[in-house]
Amino acid sequence: MKNQNPKIILTFFSIMIGIFISTQIKMKLETITPITIRSLQTMKAEINAINNEIAELNNIIKMKEEELALLENIAKGDDNIINILLEDIQYNKIHSGQTSLEGPGIVIKMYDNPAERYFGFDLNEDVIHDVDILNIINDLRIAGAEAISINNERVLSTSEIKCGGPVIRINGRSSATPFIIKAIGDPKVLYAAVNAPGTYGDLLKIYEIGFETTIEDSIYIPAYTGDFDFRYAKPLGKDD
Amino acid sequence: MPSHWERMINLFVAIIGILIGIVIGFILPYTYDTTYSLYVSVAILACLDSVFGGIRSNLENNFNIRIFLSGFFGNAILAAFLAYLGDRLGVPLYYAAIFTFGGRLFENFAKIRRVLLFKGKKTN
Repeated sequence: MKNQNPKIILTFFSIMIGIFISTQIKMKLETITPITIRSLQTMKAEINAINNEIAELNNIIKMKEEELALLENIAKGDDNIINILLEDIQYNKIHSGQTSLEGPGIVIKMYDNPAERYFGFDLNEDVIHDVDILNIINDLRIAGAEAISINNERVLSTSEIKCGGPVIRINGRSSATPFIIKAIGDPKVLYAAVNAPGTYGDLLKIYEIGFETTIEDSIYIPAYTGDFDFRYAKPLGKDD
Repeated sequence: MPSHWERMINLFVAIIGILIGIVIGFILPYTYDTTYSLYVSVAILACLDSVFGGIRSNLENNFNIRIFLSGFFGNAILAAFLAYLGDRLGVPLYYAAIFTFGGRLFENFAKIRRVLLFKGKKTN
């Protein structure tokens, strides 16, 4: 008996060790590595990004729930479907540029350099080109312009700005100098976008091209009057 | 005088016991918090050393259950405590436990080998 006792004890405690070992294995531990400050920071940034994503997704859920409630109301007959569709049309027209808009913004007046030149001077430097207009328009869009018109011609995402000799063609209609560009948006930002040193508008002054900007409280921008004619592009109907 | 096979059983008892324990551990649904894994792993090392020491002392016929039990639990707790203290102080103190018990584990195993290989002869 005295001989047998230690073996039983040893077996028992070996079993205990085995239980602990297998429990440890079960947890599938990753190798412990020292945490650097950089990895901590990247982890923090990741967590923040994921949290932001979650918040955004929650917002989307809320929006969708509201939409669903609206649709349910329609199904019940509480809301009139025609009114909702009319609102939808209005919304889409505003965003496709088929309504006249009004709001605060800036008016830019651009005209050719009026100085008289000697014979043989390269007049190209004195004339406004399509590229100048394009750059200004792009600067305005970067600054968050919501609606833009040139000489009362609405500029849309599909509008071309084409050089036609002394004139410029926009939406298939010719415009001549002076060009009056109107943009609705945050007036201060728009003003800065074309007047701050280093911007394209500032650069034009070197060539002594007329460039006057005024901030106005109420600017009227006309609707696009042409047609949308998509011959090649077909809607997929996948999203929304 | 115990026979050679009886001596061998001492070693197998530990190995079979550990294997049985591993199987039981996998069957049991119980797991503990991941933060304690370092402490537990150091404690496992200490326990392993104690069991090997127990086998050795049993082979040398001076097994004492009090020494074994106090070593088994005392070493495990001390090793885990060292690991914990090291974590608090920012110094990896558990290295002390790893080196001590790891070294002693091999020492014990070497003694066991000698006893088993040279049977009853008095060797060191």
